[in-house]
Amino acid sequence: MKKILALTIFASLFGTGLFAQNQVPPVEITPDRKHAIDSLALEKVRDLSKYISIIGDKTTPWSDAQRVIERACELFMDGAEMGVSSVNHPEQITNYKVREYFDRLMQLNYSKVVIDWYKIQYVSDLERQPDGTFVGVITVYQKFQGYDKEKGLVYEDTTKKDITIYVKRKETQIGGRLIGFWDVMLGDIRVKETSKK
Amino acid sequence: MRTLAFIFMAFIAPLCAMTQTNIGGIAGDETVFYAQTKQVNQFFRRFNGEEDVTGTRLYPGQNGFHDLKLRRKYMNMLFDKDSPLVNSDQKTVFIEEVLNRKAPVLLDFHAKDWFCEVATTFTWKKQTVNIILYLRIEQQNGGYKWVLSNCFCDKFNTYFNHLGDTTNLKFFLHPMSHEIDFMNIHKALDDPKNIDFYLDRNYAPDYLALFVSELKEGNLKFVSVNNEKFHVFQVPNWYFEISFFNRNNYNSGWLISNLVRLSPGDKNELLKHYTHSN
Repeated sequence: MKKILALTIFASLFGTGLFAQNQVPPVEITPDRKHAIDSLALEKVRDLSKYISIIGDKTTPWSDAQRVIERACELFMDGAEMGVSSVNHPEQITNYKVREYFDRLMQLNYSKVVIDWYKIQYVSDLERQPDGTFVGVITVYQKFQGYDKEKGLVYEDTTKKDITIYVKRKETQIGGRLIGFWDVMLGDIRVKETSKK
Repeated sequence: MRTLAFIFMAFIAPLCAMTQTNIGGIAGDETVFYAQTKQVNQFFRRFNGEEDVTGTRLYPGQNGFHDLKLRRKYMNMLFDKDSPLVNSDQKTVFIEEVLNRKAPVLLDFHAKDWFCEVATTFTWKKQTVNIILYLRIEQQNGGYKWVLSNCFCDKFNTYFNHLGDTTNLKFFLHPMSHEIDFMNIHKALDDPKNIDFYLDRNYAPDYLALFVSELKEGNLKFVSVNNEKFHVFQVPNWYFEISFFNRNNYNSGWLISNLVRLSPGDKNELLKHYTHSN
């Protein structure tokens, strides 16, 4: 219901769609439209942040975590990956499929995990690809703390996450009417540990 | 001191009054992340004065868009303060020229005269090799994409060890070979290790062609991207390099790590140097 409402609001902001899904829309993204798309993209990133926190939370039951992983994967384009590197070995980037990343996050061997997000974020301009889809990158920062039952805090890092977003003009039928809207999907994410020095 | 004051005014004060939608979360010390030039996109925005002090995108017609005073403040922050390759006097001259009132210089993401250098690792015939890939932005169908424009791998040089050699008196095709239908050419071609003696001394090896060939033949396998940096020639008479600095202070993110004043002719020489082209 929330989705349909958001879709309707978004569609009404940008008018009805006149172009089939595969055609390159001859529209430019105006500052107002960009602002609306940014909000939608940030909402997806917020959802992702929320899901990551739930998946990493040791008190989340396994079955609930599985359901949240499903929801989290739905935010992404097919084939999206997480490229992870540490501050000591920035040249060693390990790429995980998003589902594998979430699975690993769920299975981390800490008694307690605290995942927090800094308020700061950066949303890039949107650049058009040759296929007409627009692409941008949102940067957010995450703080991770892993606790051991006896030793207390045993691991801590802050990572910079550069999240690819794809913005595509699509159409859907609502109440028999064809409504055009801009859909946002998440893509590859580069996860870089930030330096403490 | 003025720069420091600007950082405080620009990045710390707005944090207290930020109204934009936030992701999180915690209220830790975020000023470093705020000051950090987080993306190359943000480097362009700050360089061009297309972002106000609260980090909000400015568009044409809005107050402050391309404003020279704003740009001057940002410009000082866009240099790696520790780089031995950025001379302080040259930096001052560069900033004055970029912010010239009559003809200010702006960077353009879609224009030519800038490219990306990506350091990568591959395995080549079971040994680890480092390959530098050069990419530039290309327009297609109203959109844009990065394309490979060149590459460099020192291992590929071994194919051309004898290129340009003028001392060898053994490996050549004699000047009357044409009269015998080059029936002697097999002596050159049956001896691959010395084939490079037979090449035009001015031949410039096409490393990208070799790269594609080795990949397609299955001899070259990609391992990882190690690093990326950008070479920019968009400011007349200047070259600069942008690299990422992962530091926990206000001078972090994508910054100018090398600045060179160009004399006529320098540009082509530098391009050759930085792209390993011949």
